Amino acid sequence: MPQTDQVTLECESLTKTYYSTDPPTQVLNGIDLAVKRGEFLVVMGASGSGKSSLLYSISGMDRPTGGNVTLEGRELTSMKDPEVSRVRLTSMGFIFQQAYFLSNLNIQDNILLPALKATPKDKAGVVARVDALMERFGIEHVKRHGITQVSGGQLQRASICRALAGEPTILFADEPTGALNSSMTAEVMDALSDVHSGGTTLVMVTHDPACAARADRIVYLKDGLLVDSRELGAWTKEDAKRREDEVFAWLSEKGF
Amino acid sequence: MKPRDSISTRYILNDLIKNKGVNLALLVILVLSAFLMATGSMVMERLVGSVNQLFDEAKPPHFLQMHKGEYDQAALDRFAAEHPEIDAWVVEEMLGFDSAALAWERPSTGENGDLADSLIDNLFVTQNPDFDFLIDQDGEIPRPSAGEAYVPVAYEQRFELAIGDELRVKTAEGFQELTIAGFVRDSQMASSLSSATRFLVSEADFEALSEAGGGAPEIIVEYRLTDASLVSDFQRAYESDEALPKNGQAVTYQMIRVINAFSDGLVAMALMFVSLLLIAISLLNARFVIRGTLEDEVREIGAMKAIGLPNKSISGLYLSKYRAMTFLACVAGGLLAIVATNLLTRTVQVNYAEAPLGLSTFLVPVLALALVYVFVVGICRRVFKKIRKIQVVNALVHGSTLDDRQTARRAKRQAKRVRRTSLAAFRGTNVNRRLAWLDLRAESAQWILIPVVFFLASVLMTLPMNLLSTFESPKFVTYLGAQESDVRVDLQFSEDVDTVREDVLAAMRQDERLTAVRTYANVLYEAEGEDGWEIFRVEVGDYSDGSVAFTEGGRPESGQIAVSVLNADKYELSPGDDFTIRLDGASTTLTVSGVYQDVTSGGYTAKMEGEVTAGAAAYVFYADSAEGEDPAAIAADYGDEFPSAASIPMREYVTQTLSYVTDAFRSAAVLSFVFGIGVAALITSLFLKLRLTSDRQKMGMLSAVGFSTSEIIAQVRGKTLFAVAVGTVLGPVFAATGGESVVGSFIALAGLGIADLAFIPNPLLVYLVYPLALISAGYLTALALTARLRGADKSAWLRG
Ligand SMILES: Nc1ncnc2c1ncn2[C@@H]1O[C@H](COP(=O)(O)OP(=O)(O)O)[C@@H](O)[C@H]1O
Ligand SMILES: [Mg+2]
Repeated sequence: MPQTDQVTLECESLTKTYYSTDPPTQVLNGIDLAVKRGEFLVVMGASGSGKSSLLYSISGMDRPTGGNVTLEGRELTSMKDPEVSRVRLTSMGFIFQQAYFLSNLNIQDNILLPALKATPKDKAGVVARVDALMERFGIEHVKRHGITQVSGGQLQRASICRALAGEPTILFADEPTGALNSSMTAEVMDALSDVHSGGTTLVMVTHDPACAARADRIVYLKDGLLVDSRELGAWTKEDAKRREDEVFAWLSEKGF
Repeated sequence: MKPRDSISTRYILNDLIKNKGVNLALLVILVLSAFLMATGSMVMERLVGSVNQLFDEAKPPHFLQMHKGEYDQAALDRFAAEHPEIDAWVVEEMLGFDSAALAWERPSTGENGDLADSLIDNLFVTQNPDFDFLIDQDGEIPRPSAGEAYVPVAYEQRFELAIGDELRVKTAEGFQELTIAGFVRDSQMASSLSSATRFLVSEADFEALSEAGGGAPEIIVEYRLTDASLVSDFQRAYESDEALPKNGQAVTYQMIRVINAFSDGLVAMALMFVSLLLIAISLLNARFVIRGTLEDEVREIGAMKAIGLPNKSISGLYLSKYRAMTFLACVAGGLLAIVATNLLTRTVQVNYAEAPLGLSTFLVPVLALALVYVFVVGICRRVFKKIRKIQVVNALVHGSTLDDRQTARRAKRQAKRVRRTSLAAFRGTNVNRRLAWLDLRAESAQWILIPVVFFLASVLMTLPMNLLSTFESPKFVTYLGAQESDVRVDLQFSEDVDTVREDVLAAMRQDERLTAVRTYANVLYEAEGEDGWEIFRVEVGDYSDGSVAFTEGGRPESGQIAVSVLNADKYELSPGDDFTIRLDGASTTLTVSGVYQDVTSGGYTAKMEGEVTAGAAAYVFYADSAEGEDPAAIAADYGDEFPSAASIPMREYVTQTLSYVTDAFRSAAVLSFVFGIGVAALITSLFLKLRLTSDRQKMGMLSAVGFSTSEIIAQVRGKTLFAVAVGTVLGPVFAATGGESVVGSFIALAGLGIADLAFIPNPLLVYLVYPLALISAGYLTALALTARLRGADKSAWLRG
């Protein structure tokens, strides 16, 4: 499903300062951003520019210092922690560079965890959905494995399954391929493209121009501000090479 | 400074600064352990020293026999002549006065009072010529001149008497006044468990007191032998000689020693017991911290190994911190112990003697502390052995402390576990709780610390409390061979004892203030021991009311006899055996019905069903007071009406005689309550602090996938509560089973006649208040520590 014109996630004059350091670190300096439903948005920027902080702030993991965030018309910034957590549980999915899993659960249970928590009464439905997801991303055969018994690519695909199991409105991915070699990167990016074409909104941070080329739009973050953005339009496999070059050239302009 | 030393010093300093909280907590517990161990050993050393010192100065008799009434002086002379092992002997004459007959006044201020509150016997004596001296506070043997009296030190403290005060003794002819010239210590009766105490007066005053009347004359026949080890043979010889006086209690040198050490040694034992538990806790704790350190610093360790540092140097580096901390704890604990010992031994020093400071005064606590040091450092060294197994590649690349084989084994174990545990198969709906439970199971190797510590803390708190409530319980007198009653009247042998018995009994039966009057007679039978016939004390009376508790068998019926624990041992009796005793040459064979514990008459007694109204050596009456009557007042009335009867309010009497022991137990109970709660809370906070640090990424992940901070906090709190509760509940269960037998066997070892100490716990306190207090302490600690998680930026958790 292609992207639409309706805004799903929006933030206005978002600022974030970490007070745990001395002096406090001002990371986001007033971000205005609107993500459309079904859009695949990539956030790029130098290391330390605040990309991860942006994801954490708009997902309610961290409390923004100023500004507000709305998801599907509901203002996250005025909600209390249990409520925001509930939104994360039912409407958001997270994928990280490092795959965080519970080592005392097998792959299937790890994937089931959030979805089962969201709808504990519909266990059969959740299990069926998770089994289908694992099948779709090719990890059905390792579902009873421990998390140290599978490859990095399989683990990251398991992350995607976990993120999708709750049928989220929006998916956040923070350098999901940062720790993977090129064949595994392709594996994971194909999976994400697949997710996107299924209609899920996707916000991804990446350093890899090839990955960024798959996005509908790229925004560029510098010193806590969105300094530039570029519409790429819908991605097709045939068009991949050209878009990659285009992204590369655009990034070089910014001294990336 | 050698280079390695400076590296160690730098490492220690860095670590101390970096992990302030963890190191401080460990240090506090180590200091406490060292402190208690040092205090316990020092109190023990001082006590033994004090008792020895007093024994040196006072030369207590090796064997003594109390007696009331007529006796055959010629028989005593003959016996002495026949026994060359006697070094010296004496018949000490005593005059017993009731406490109410003693009053004091301070001429300088006009202050005055009486000693009526004391329930023990006051015996007036003159100084002995050769041995069994009463010793004054300078360690001298005082010889009062006419008009002077020396008063027991216990009374000096209790009634705040001073030298120069007038002591007034109420005799049948009026008051006799004496001036207090000093205070005396009594080797025979120093123990806080003793039921009598001696006053020293001059020969002239003694004559005057006995002529004036009002005192109960009594004698003690005392022997000092050439060799103290001959005592048991000597006692047998004495008891088998018909003509010798022996209607009172017989006491041996060993018994005097044991009783002296028992009452005051209990405090020292309690302290050392608490210390042992604390050492166990600090070792567990150290092990946990060390393992954490190894996990945290595995890469540094790998790097050190990679550049070729030998294992020994690496573990030496880490060990240096624990060495330094333990050493510091031992020094600090030792210094604190000096102060505490001075406080704790103050009464011991007054009642016994000031033990001179000797080599052992320093050696004993230093040795105890050295043991603590060696033990703690030794265990730490063993934990650090793990360093040998760390492999450079695994450490540097994977940050793992495990070698290849261990890694493989762990992976296999984990694979097996995840195959089994499954959320998919989980039937409940509370995923959060399920997750906490799975966590607890997977990390049980770490979490076990909490239940173990709470178990130890709970045992630590419960045992002294159980001892206290047992000794304070009204039922405890049954352990002492007496019956639970409000008033007890004793009639010792005298010429007209049988008539007095009739009078007292008639008065008691008519008295509306008394209910359930029971009478018992002490009859001196004989039984055949190793060296022929010897005295065998039997109490005859009605036991059908079940007032005596039997450790084996049951109460005697007609034709049966019950024997005390020590007699059962001595004559090798158990229920069902036949036993022959004789009275005035006529033998009877009885069946043993049961065995009970008793500490009266040295623990050697027996009980028979029946009624003896004449010819007994002594009679005892028990009665309960009617609702609203004051047992003390009733006892006082009977004391006035029947001067030859000793009448006491039983409960008050027991409370008073045991007060020193119960006070000691109370201090131990309070101390261990505070330490138990404190240490449990300290370790919980330490554990959670480390746990929360190492769980940061996991918590971050849970937060990212939609667990709220409250739910994450609830998981930690729930796990803590569960672990705490398991340990806490097991504590009192152990205390009531295994703990009871351990403490019981210690007390049985004292040879007092208590073979089987059954606790009489205060159920409300031990099964409700204590566990709740411990659980609350653990839970509140968890509340405090997890509260900090609220409001944190969760991304910080994920960033590690
Ligand atoms: N919890 C935190 N406390 C203090 N500083 C932080 C915290 N999280 C991130 N930072 C700082 O904020 C800046 C931006 O970090 P981040 O958002 O991770 O950047 P990016 O993902 O673009 O590399 C960095 O300088 C980082 O050190
Ligand atoms: Mg980042």
